[in-house]
Amino acid sequence: MKVTIDKWIGVSTWHWNHAQDEVCGICRVAFDGTCPTCKYPGDDCPLIIGECKHAFHMHCLLKWLTTESSKGLCPMCRRRFKTATE
Amino acid sequence: MSRARRIAKELQAVQDDPQAGIDLEVINDADISHLKGYFDGPSGTPYEGGRYQVDIEIPQDYPFKPPKMKFDTKVYHPNISSQTGAICLDILKDKWSPVLTLKASLISLQSLLTTPEPTNPQDAEVAKHYLSDRKGFDNTAKYWAKVYAGADGGASGTAAASKPVDVFEQYGIDRESVKAIENMGFTQERIIEVMRRTGIKKIGPGAQEGAEDRLLEELLK
Ligand SMILES: [Zn+2]
Ligand SMILES: [Zn+2]
Ligand SMILES: [Zn+2]
Repeated sequence: MKVTIDKWIGVSTWHWNHAQDEVCGICRVAFDGTCPTCKYPGDDCPLIIGECKHAFHMHCLLKWLTTESSKGLCPMCRRRFKTATE
Repeated sequence: MSRARRIAKELQAVQDDPQAGIDLEVINDADISHLKGYFDGPSGTPYEGGRYQVDIEIPQDYPFKPPKMKFDTKVYHPNISSQTGAICLDILKDKWSPVLTLKASLISLQSLLTTPEPTNPQDAEVAKHYLSDRKGFDNTAKYWAKVYAGADGGASGTAAASKPVDVFEQYGIDRESVKAIENMGFTQERIIEVMRRTGIKKIGPGAQEGAEDRLLEELLK
């Protein structure tokens, strides 16, 4: 029997390397999900990890850091938030 | 939208953990920004046995701004207004972080009952009482827990409001001192009003020096 494939749909799974089953402490949504303002998980809604090793959806953290009350501190440990350089 | 989703998750988390003794309820399903929280008075404190109700308003930009909380149940505590229930607690003000939750905030209130910070008071009168006469303070706090929070088999909830209140116990004011001054021709009502305003709880032996003079001075104004 000869089969002709006329359509092929790729399905794959992915997750961020950082603690897959954890949630973002700010929005309480899993890291593999999106922050509340995004529709598509993945590169459109990346994670950001601090020197202190605390991770958040980047959009969630930026929203916090733009508030005056944040004083630039990590919401978890209250150290100055600096993005970790790999 | 994101706020609603987070609040829903928080309500669920509280329900999933009945051991914590914390309750959260939405007043009106159409408006999730107004809630009531409940927790038990911590054991080993004058608040033990009481159940405390807290009014919670969630701002539009929650969790980036802290929830607004105040006690509905009257509490006698240096960091809680005895009049309005307003709370002085750093995490509800400048120490707020978006990773904190309503449950975490209520637990912080519970531990605030255990460890008052009288040097940074919300109610200066109560703080003065706490610092100058710890035993008298404890008695008054215990009495309020009984009358307003249902401790010790006292009335609870709304029933407490209609119960007659002993003003001496309520304000931690010494009964004998008031009687002594009543004998000088002042009314009890006026004496208690002035004592509350000046923070004087008693006169005579064991009282602060000059308390009687100060009290009389105020009464004669
Ligand atoms: Zn997030
Ligand atoms: Zn996003
Ligand atoms: Zn951190």
